[in-house]
Amino acid sequence: MARKIKVESISLDFYYGDFKALEDISIQVEENQVTALIGPSGCGKSTYLRCINRMNDLIPDTRVVGELRLDDEDIYTSDLDAVSLRRRVGMVFQKPNPFPKTIFENVAYGLRVNGVKDQEFIDHRVEESLKHAALWEEVKDRIQTNALGLSGGQQQRLCIARALAVEPEVLLMDEPASALDPIATQKIEDLIHELKKEFTIIIVTHSMQQAARVSDRTAFFYMGKLIEVDDTQTMFTKPQNKQTEDYITGRFG
Amino acid sequence: MEQRAHFTQKLEELKMQVLRMAALSEKAVHNAVTAFFENDNEMAESVIMGDIEINDLENAIDKYNLELLALDQPMARDLRFIVGTMRITVNLERIGDEAVNLAHRAMFLSSRPPLPYNQRMEMLADIAKKMVADSLKAFVDEDTELAGEVCEMDNQADEMNLKILKEFINGMVAESRIVERGVHAIMAARHLERIGDLATNVAEAVVFIVEGEDVKHKCRG
Repeated sequence: MARKIKVESISLDFYYGDFKALEDISIQVEENQVTALIGPSGCGKSTYLRCINRMNDLIPDTRVVGELRLDDEDIYTSDLDAVSLRRRVGMVFQKPNPFPKTIFENVAYGLRVNGVKDQEFIDHRVEESLKHAALWEEVKDRIQTNALGLSGGQQQRLCIARALAVEPEVLLMDEPASALDPIATQKIEDLIHELKKEFTIIIVTHSMQQAARVSDRTAFFYMGKLIEVDDTQTMFTKPQNKQTEDYITGRFG
Repeated sequence: MEQRAHFTQKLEELKMQVLRMAALSEKAVHNAVTAFFENDNEMAESVIMGDIEINDLENAIDKYNLELLALDQPMARDLRFIVGTMRITVNLERIGDEAVNLAHRAMFLSSRPPLPYNQRMEMLADIAKKMVADSLKAFVDEDTELAGEVCEMDNQADEMNLKILKEFINGMVAESRIVERGVHAIMAARHLERIGDLATNVAEAVVFIVEGEDVKHKCRG
């Protein structure tokens, strides 16, 4: 059965000033699937990821050409404002970046800036989000302590919980485990498998093994272009394109 | 410097080991066939003794492959090459075993009066030898077309084996004195036919390595 297309780009170009960082990127991201973006540094995969929640808008002199659709709605031309968009499309970054606040306040933050006042609702949502992020059991007895006291892996899961608290539909992850040790990495990967039941996930990773382990679809970027996108299974056993083959077998990049 | 030169070198070493094993298995088939038709007991002995080296190489290649998988985490074509060579070595080892079986038939029959109907047996032996040789050439040259031809030849081997079986059954019905020898000859034909099957498996692994297509159990008519 064909899944619903959650995110789709159609001939997307992206410019930093005159520099064309992305050229003609057309990808369909299916709902409740994990899509991994791979490619060497500077290939455009993170730029593409940041297009999806308009994070690139924060960089001056950038420009998007083509279409980027969330549920059939072009996020660059519709009335959808960036704040509402980012509530629907959450993001987790490479380095865990908790606020210097309590664990509770970190997770509650998104709700508060969205004007939620109902304390019972906030309590409930914070607990749910921490459970979702597989962190609740580890922090439930010290939820009012400073988040900076958590380990790196815990901090990253806290950031995931913070992203989940506003109930996004899509979760963007920019190398979420590259600063973590193998056990913390494993936890994040297990979490991704769980989270995809409810969310659509797009992950940028430098680890080919990680892309192979966690994703359903893999897209290979090179020099701003989409070289190949296919089922992960096919990409890592029988890629069609020579450049993909060379990259994933470690022959260049 | 070439990227992943160290790993590429390891893959080359793997290929060399497989070729070493292939050469031994192919030689075992040749020698067993010669021992069979020329009543050469000494050669039959050498085939039986030589199997130890083939078995040892299979173990060594298995270990090597396991390490490559664990330590180098190969992908795509590299992964297929390793999985493919694992399939190939399993079949080469069995080819060695069938050569040993044939050598045992040769030793049994060598001290007894010669059987009639050897012509078809020679034809079957030629087919089996060619299938082994071509499947290995296909591996070396990554030649999927030749691999396909090996698969097709398997039908000839099967047909020839059946003809030999019928021929011997008819002969044994007519003359019961040859029954014991006849049964051994039928088994010899069966060993040759099995060698053809195993060479087909090698050829299928070559297609898998080169094209990523799994043609197991498909390419035979």
